[in-house]
This record gives sequence, C-alpha cells and structure tokens, in this order.
Amino acid sequence: MKNLLVTLFLLISFLGFGQSVSAPDSKSFTPSTNGQDGSGFSISGFTTTDVLLTSISLINPPTGTTFYLGTTTGLAPASGFTLTGNKTRLVVTGTMANVNTALASLKINTGATIGNIQLSVATTINPTGYYYNGVNGHFYKPVSTGANFANAITTARNSTFKGQKGYLVTITSSDEDLFIYNNVPQSNIWFAADDRTTEGRWVISDGPEIGTLLKTSNGQYAGNVQGVYNNWASGEPNDWGGNEDAAVTKWGGGFYWNDLSTANVNPYVIEYGTWTNPDDQTFTEFYNNSVTHSNGEVLSARFNIDFGGNVDETKFSAKGYTYTNNTWNLVNGTTKQLSGLGKVDLTSGLDTTKITDGYKATIVPGQVEWSLINPYEPARNGHRLQIDERVFYGTGINLNDIKYIKLFDIYEGPITPLDFNGWWKQWLVPNDIGLTNKANASSYQSNIRLQDGWYAFKADYTFSVNQMYKPHGIELSYVNQTDLNTLYSNIVSVSDVYLAFKELSDKGIFGNQSGMGFSKGIQYMNADVDMNGVFDENDTYKLLQHLTGVQPLSQYTALTYLIKLYNKSDYDSITPNNWNTKFNNTRNLIPFTLNGLNNTYNISVSWLGDVNLSHSAQPATNAVASNSIRTMSLTTNSVSNQINAELMSENVGGNLVVTISIDPLQQELVGTQFQLNYDNTALKFGKVEFVTKGNPTNFGTDKGTYVILGSLITDGSTTLDKTTEYKITFSPLMGLSSVLGLTSISATDAVSKNGAQLKVKVN
Amino acid sequence: MKKLLFIFVILLWGCTKPDIPLPNPPVEKIFSVGESSVTNGQSIHFDLPSAGVYTLTLIDKESGNVVSRERFTGQYGENVKKIYTKSISVKYLYLLLEDVTKKEISKTTIIIN
Repeated sequence: MKNLLVTLFLLISFLGFGQSVSAPDSKSFTPSTNGQDGSGFSISGFTTTDVLLTSISLINPPTGTTFYLGTTTGLAPASGFTLTGNKTRLVVTGTMANVNTALASLKINTGATIGNIQLSVATTINPTGYYYNGVNGHFYKPVSTGANFANAITTARNSTFKGQKGYLVTITSSDEDLFIYNNVPQSNIWFAADDRTTEGRWVISDGPEIGTLLKTSNGQYAGNVQGVYNNWASGEPNDWGGNEDAAVTKWGGGFYWNDLSTANVNPYVIEYGTWTNPDDQTFTEFYNNSVTHSNGEVLSARFNIDFGGNVDETKFSAKGYTYTNNTWNLVNGTTKQLSGLGKVDLTSGLDTTKITDGYKATIVPGQVEWSLINPYEPARNGHRLQIDERVFYGTGINLNDIKYIKLFDIYEGPITPLDFNGWWKQWLVPNDIGLTNKANASSYQSNIRLQDGWYAFKADYTFSVNQMYKPHGIELSYVNQTDLNTLYSNIVSVSDVYLAFKELSDKGIFGNQSGMGFSKGIQYMNADVDMNGVFDENDTYKLLQHLTGVQPLSQYTALTYLIKLYNKSDYDSITPNNWNTKFNNTRNLIPFTLNGLNNTYNISVSWLGDVNLSHSAQPATNAVASNSIRTMSLTTNSVSNQINAELMSENVGGNLVVTISIDPLQQELVGTQFQLNYDNTALKFGKVEFVTKGNPTNFGTDKGTYVILGSLITDGSTTLDKTTEYKITFSPLMGLSSVLGLTSISATDAVSKNGAQLKVKVN
Repeated sequence: MKKLLFIFVILLWGCTKPDIPLPNPPVEKIFSVGESSVTNGQSIHFDLPSAGVYTLTLIDKESGNVVSRERFTGQYGENVKKIYTKSISVKYLYLLLEDVTKKEISKTTIIIN
C-alpha cells in the first residue's frame, strides 16, 4: 500500500498536477475611473522557492483601459518591462507568494470607451536560458555557440520546448526585434530571412510566417513590402562579394539588419510558439487563466469548449442565436473563430433586448425562516429551494410564476418550478452552485442557519416582474465540409468499432452483464448510434457498415448530424448506469441562459460513434485517472502499444501499385485502418486487394481524394499476423515516370484484442 | 562597285559569330543542399553510384512516419524524378534515397510550398 501511495505521489508529481491559475468572477467596471479593484487571480501548486515567470495581459482592451500593480515587492520585471506605471501587459519573475501578493493588488483604470476587458494571467517556472516575450507569448532561446545558416535552421527545427517545435527566430515587428536586441548579448544574430532562391528577393525562411515576402530588391528601402517589417542597415542588404544570402539582426552590435554569407558561423535564436495572442498559448507546464470583465454595461458570454484531444479547435467558429416564437434566429452574421484552447467570446452575437417572463423573487435578510435551500442533488442536477407558501398570500403569484430569484448574496439566476411539499413551494436551482462556500462567504451569517446539510434563511421577500434576456444558443460550424469529412473518418475508426463489439460480446450470455470495453457513460451514448436508448447489435452492425463504407452512421454529413454538445455539468453526470436517461442526440447548437452582464459557460464535446473518446472531452469524474492513462500512454505507446507497417509504391505495368505490409510485433492485432490519400488529378482509384488470415472483415472505400482501408476481426477470435498485406491499384490519368507523392498515408489506426488503441509506425 | 559591295557582304558574313550551342546551366542536385522548397510536379536531380533498384522516401519530420515511397530502377550517374505534393498533408519532410538493401545513400529536408 505504501509503495502504491509513493508511486501515486511520484506520478502526480511527475505529471505536474496541482499547479494552476484561478481567475475571479466577471464584473463590470465604471467607465473613466482609475484604480478599480481587479484582484482575484491566484496562483497555486508551486513550491515556495520556485521562481515563477508570470505574464499579466489585457487582451485587446477598450481604449484607455490599463492596469497597474499596487505592490511589487520581490518581483523583477522581465526584459523590456518596468514594474511601475500603467500597463496593458507586464511580465515579471518572482516567487508564488510575491506574485500572488502583487496580483491581489491589481488595479484597473478605465477610459470612456465601453467594451470587454479580457484580463489574462499565465505562469510557469522561470526556465533558465529561455526568454519569454509577453507581447506574443513566445519563448526564445539564444544559441551563442553559433552555426552556419542552414545548420541554425536545422537545429532550431529539431528542438522542442514545452511541447512546441522550435524554428529559427522570425522577426515580424520592431517589438520582437527590440526583444532580441535586449536579450541576446551577441551581435550578428541569424534570423529566418534569406534570398537564397532569388537574389534580392528576401523571404521569411522558417516558422509560421515561412514564405512571407519581405522585399524584392537589395538596398535599405528598395523593394520593401509595405506593411511587412524590415529593418536594414544603411546600404544593406548588398550581397557583398556576391554571396550574402541570409540575414542577421543586431549587425555590429547595433539595432539593424545586414546580409551575410550563409557559410558564416553566427549566433542564432530559436523561437517557440506559433500563436499571435498569448492567451492562445499551448505550452505544456505553462498555466494560464483569464476573465472577461467589462467597462460599463456590456453583455458578454465566454464559452470554454472542451474537445478533448486530437481536434484543432481553431477550425471551429461560433455564432449566437436567440429562440423566439419556437424558432432559432441568428443575432447577426458575425462568426468568431475559436482559440487554440477552445475559447470564444460572444458579444455582438448576443441580443440585449429583455423580455418579460413571470416574476423575480428577491430574498433579503428578515426575521423569520421562511426559506431553505438543500445540498446539491446529482439526480436532479441542482438544489431544491423551498419557500413557505404563506409568503405568497395575497400576492396572486403561483409556483409556476417565479422564474428567477436573488437569494441574499448566494445565488442570482433562473429557477425551475418543481412541486408542493407540505407548506413548502419547491423550485430547482440548476447545477451545483458551491453552496457551502457561498453560504460561508455570505455577509449575512446571522440570518443563515446550517442544519443537516441544508441552510435556512431568516428572510423577507419582494416580487417584481421578471425582465430577462431572450433564450440564446451558440452554434458551432467547421471550416469546410471536405475537412470535416476527413476529420470524421478519423474520429470513427476501427478501434471504436472493435471496442463496441467487445463491449457487447462481454455482456454475458443473457446480455445483462457489464461489459469490459466501456468505463464511461458517454461511451455507451456514442456507441448507441441509432440513439434509441439501447446499445445492442443493431448499433455494432451500423458501426461496422460505417467502417466498411456500406452505409455512413449519419445520412447527412453536416456538423449538426455528427457532433454532440453538452453543458459540462450534464456531461460529467453521465454514468454507465444512467446514460440512457440522458439527452442523446447530435446538435451543433446548444442553448444557454444569460444571467447578468458577464456570463461563462463550459461546454463538453463528443461525437456520434466516438466510442473510445479519442476526439471527445474526458468526463471529469474520471479526469485524474484518464489523464494519467493518456499521459502515460504517450510515453509508453512507442514501446508497448505499437505495430509496424511498411509502405511501398511503384509503377507496375503502367499502373501505380501501393503496398502496405503489416508487422504486428508482439501485439494481438485484431483491427487496422489506413487513410491513403491520392492525387485525383493524376490517378484513378482501381481496387484494394487483401492478403489476410483469420477471416477478418476487410474494407476499402474510395472517398474521392483518399481511400479508407483495413481489416477488423469483430469477435477477436483470431488475430492479424505478419502476412497481412494490402495492395491498392490506381490507373494513371497522366504519364507515370515518377510516382513519389502521388499517394500518401496521413492517418492510421489499429486495435488489439483487449480493445487498446495501437500506434502504427509506418516505415 | 558591285564587286566591292559583294566582297563587303561576304566579309560581314564571314565575321558573324558561329552558332555554337551554349551548355545548360548546372542543375542543383537535391541532395547537395540541406534543404529545398518543392512544388507539385517539380523535378529533382540526383546521382546514383550504380545502376539498380532504389527507393525515394518521404518521411514526416515530426512523427517520423513514412508518408510516401517510390521504388524505381535507376541508372548510374544523374537521374531525374518528380515529386508530387497534392496528396501530402504535412509541410516538413525528409527525402531519403536508399538502395535495395535499405542502405541510406542520401538524405535532405524538403519543404512543401
């Protein structure tokens, strides 16, 4: 047991659980007012001696909005920053205690311009040898030993830092140029710009901006592309000696650029990070959080949308709708792209018009215990609020009329009528409101009594007509249909289908036992592809038909027929025992209720047929266990959960023949899947031939620009062995003197007899 | 006078620069540089140490997985092949030349534009 605890402790330590940044609730600031309280951020989980690098940022604030720190004891400013004065961004180093003290003293200055104020705090242990640029959220590593230009690029690309691949630094602004100037002591520093292809035609030669044209001819200003940052020294670039084809900054220790021979050995800088907004950073072990306040009364809704892994969130966009007269109506046509963290703010996509709906009960401190609220009940997904019916005598207001309450300083929002219980009228306060914490923090302790988990309130009541915002919904869309088709091919793949078969076959001879394949309720929901509340052989049959290309799971390919959206609290409450009582359908629009000006919603995403949740949010009830498994599997997959495949293509008798040969290594392999892309302007798909033992279901489906092919032994009674081979034949639409790149493998999947997803190493 | 003009024309003709074919500019061999940008259908030039069966392989630099491979029969000395890029979804790749025994002959980096 001790060993287990020690192992668990080490695992948790290794995985870095515990470190986090918490953010305050949203609030509205008064316009044109300095020194307003912006505290509430707090960093936790680091040791007392850790030196933290912390960035505090206002993301695109309204004109005139800044912040400052009232206390900066123990902090040091990062390069380019000072501790004093009004800021829109500040990067500091210091211990967690010092940083938290400073954050508690954060003040907001507002201007006359009304708008959202997004405040973001990010922190990590200050890495030695790396410099953080708070303007773009990138890290920079100077390499003083130097290299020639080509080797500098190669070394940069082969390096990684905090989960990000490096690239030779690109300089796209004077801020970035100055940052390098200030942080790299050496002179003549290679950066990613060259005219190696065409003399005088300077392009960015690495990183996210690769290929961007800087200028079209040599000379300090000649041919500089308007709007693109150039900073050449006088008379440069000049291709001196006819062989200067790459650029350095900090030329001769100054602030300007020069061109030098690519053979020179110069210091260089590796850059990490591809985003432009620091709030979109995806560094590992780099913790951040943000809050969207407002300057003045601005209605806003922040959505944190959890797609799990393996989905590019930035390919999704969101729009706001209202629900009136039984119809969803688009508020306006503006779509907002999701950030790399799945965040999106709707402001212009919200309708600020209020409607009348029933009554609002305002509960304030009084003399008699007329009301009580119960602890959170998972079965109801909320708290029962009870009010003595004598409160309503003479008001003419009934149970169903109350739609909204303000309960002391504990809760303000919508409620749902339930029923009568003796003297009590009952309503449901939705979701878990963190009752104990809020009751303990209330300013009205003398009016609150704790009894057996519920709280009683000595209270008075006023009723007013309830003015509320219209019901809203957020709709997600995907960048384009072709990309979505490809994504969905990878979401529902051979490992999902096998897992569904395995779960079904393990349910005992009467089919009433718990299978061994699924551990989470959402897996049953996703496997119940006909969405009739029963996971059975009809579902596995449909999954197999989908896999083999006979019949897709959905008749339609639009996102709304594939994706499932849930409020996180609902998603986390789905279990293997209650899943068939929960809402189970696809939708790309999910309703939400606006309460007050600043609203935050957590949305969980899953997909029809994503049985192994490879592209879905992980339910929080199993978050620690599943995260541990996922993280560990990343490190162990390459060793124990891997099979090999060998790819070959050649011109055979005028046709292109692609051969994929399988080596299961030590795995009991029961399923494989490959996506073989082809250039349909040069090739026409012909056929797939299978060499397999064990009587698997083989499939090969042409999708126009790619072929999905593979094998599945649904009952796991036999396995695929080393003789397994797939031969795909294409006929040419042009001469086939070369075939390299006419076909390519872009996605793979494999599954073992025990249902584990396997990594496919293509050799 | 006519004779003089005739002789003058003959002399001019005799001074015309003979039409000697110029040699083609040398083509950069793909494996002689550390990195190249390629576009769809671009020709690549490389040398082989002997005639025989070889493979050209494209490997995703990030995952290390083979993306595409061509087996071909090459000739001694300079060979020309084409690279097609429309089916390829990654940007940074290794291009690897191996002989029939899978012995690496040459390797370079290519960037798909």
